Amino acid sequence: MSALASDTALPLLDIAGLHYRYPGARADALAGLELSIAPGEFVAVVGANGSGKSTLARLVGGLEKPAAARRAWACGHDLLTEDGRLEARRDVGVLFQNPENQLVAECVEDDIAFGLENLGWDPAAIRARVDEMLARFHLQDLQFREPHLLSGGQKQRTALAGVLAIPRRALVLDEPTAMLDPAGRAEVLAAAARLRDEGLGVLYITQEMDEVLDADRVVALERGSVVYAGGVTGLFEQPELVRRLGLGLPPAGELALELAHRGRRLEPLPLSVDALVAALETGR
Amino acid sequence: MSAARSGAARSGAAPTGGTSLPGMALECRGVGFTYAEAESPIPALRDVSFALESGGTLALLGASGSGKSTLLQVIRGLDTAEAGAVLLDGAGPGEAAYLALQRQVGLVFQTPELQLFASTAREDVAFGPRRLGWSETAVEAAVDEALQLAGLPAAEFGDRHPYALSGGEQRRLALAGVLAMRPRLLLLDEPFVSLDPATRRELAAILARLKGAGVTLVLATHDVDLAWALCDDLLVLDEGCVATAGAWSAGPEGARVLAAHHLREPFIVDLWRRLGRDPALAPRTAAEAADALS
Repeated sequence: MSALASDTALPLLDIAGLHYRYPGARADALAGLELSIAPGEFVAVVGANGSGKSTLARLVGGLEKPAAARRAWACGHDLLTEDGRLEARRDVGVLFQNPENQLVAECVEDDIAFGLENLGWDPAAIRARVDEMLARFHLQDLQFREPHLLSGGQKQRTALAGVLAIPRRALVLDEPTAMLDPAGRAEVLAAAARLRDEGLGVLYITQEMDEVLDADRVVALERGSVVYAGGVTGLFEQPELVRRLGLGLPPAGELALELAHRGRRLEPLPLSVDALVAALETGR
Repeated sequence: MSAARSGAARSGAAPTGGTSLPGMALECRGVGFTYAEAESPIPALRDVSFALESGGTLALLGASGSGKSTLLQVIRGLDTAEAGAVLLDGAGPGEAAYLALQRQVGLVFQTPELQLFASTAREDVAFGPRRLGWSETAVEAAVDEALQLAGLPAAEFGDRHPYALSGGEQRRLALAGVLAMRPRLLLLDEPFVSLDPATRRELAAILARLKGAGVTLVLATHDVDLAWALCDDLLVLDEGCVATAGAWSAGPEGARVLAAHHLREPFIVDLWRRLGRDPALAPRTAAEAADALS
């Protein structure tokens, strides 16, 4: 436990020169990674398949041990120590892609209570916290539903409610909408947007470029290193870098690039449908 | 999105090797299916009827749990319709040709790379054709062709261990394993899930090439933009029932059906409407849209 843990002015994540290699692998999955997140900051993480995004999620959540790092702090806990990783697991919530793998209990409310029971909370406190989470994620009507009867979006909201039932300071969402239909995706995005308003630091890993538009900052990974960290438009205004990283632009941006190839350049590059419509209408 | 068409144009439409891959007509007539093992059985498919002509491309949309995967499994013959019938090239179950036709239906499961098992890419792809009893020469030719189609040329990738490939390469290798059996009807269950945008573009280009070669395609997906770029027909399922089936029109009726089932319109259709253009005439790809707007 670090004395820094209670100092909210410090970054929630402060990572420098971090390396990690899977057993038997020939190359580092994370190679000198740098990353910091302030309280209340919503940071998108993008990169090709295999660039290290999910490995990053596991390390930040205290689920793996870094091979080496100059600094590796998560919510004031040193990820280089066993104790620090255990503390980080409590303060940093991690939600993975497939909701099927994350629900363990017989019904929705038992699932939300699961982590609190493991932490030894007393039953009255658990009851109050579970009711709070059911209300916050609009799950009251599904309280006693068995997980396998839930839709994908409902499952992922239940998993998120379970992760956040334990009071967290930072949250890592690892492609939380990838397996969901459009309605489920909208549910999870709305829930994630509320978290940032509540002051949590959020690391949002995604392959959906239009989801990146809502982030405060974006971090792009390539072979386990950060090759871009900064504003969202700053990344998308470098189409060559975006292509090299195996990414794309949001659909409006892709269309604007096609227009630019045909000699019709829109400035600044529109990234949303609204911006594209506005740019096309003023340009005529 | 644009890569689907432009990629096809760049790489040439038909697969090489003199083995054309003709399509297969598909028709479902009143198909019903219920999962027997469920505690309280809910019909997964109810009276599903639609027709897709040979070489047609069908987008299968609908919420999670609407029956998309079940329908693909029933068409493939892994599950048997308890009501109605799946007709392949007009033939129904019980007709002499049916089993042979069923073998020409390929199904690419969700996250198919989880089923890779052999120690080289070539061996993994050879598994299916060998099981069909083809001669070793024929198997070899089919494997080379399938690897080529999937963008994993045998000379470079054939001897690699499947687990040494990237996630996107593994997905394409699993696709090659199905293509090697020369399916005339190819069913794909969420093929784009968890792929990065570049790999999605590559996969979309491969599917566009198969379409160009005349293979009948059924694409179950939540990615309405990629579906719009590739598919001429639309089938929306809602709790196991057909909500709409037929040519995918972006006119008012198409918009109404998508909205009624919590599906968004393709980005380009939305754009066309907001620009005051006729959404029924919206192009399919960003490249075509840019041609119209520049």
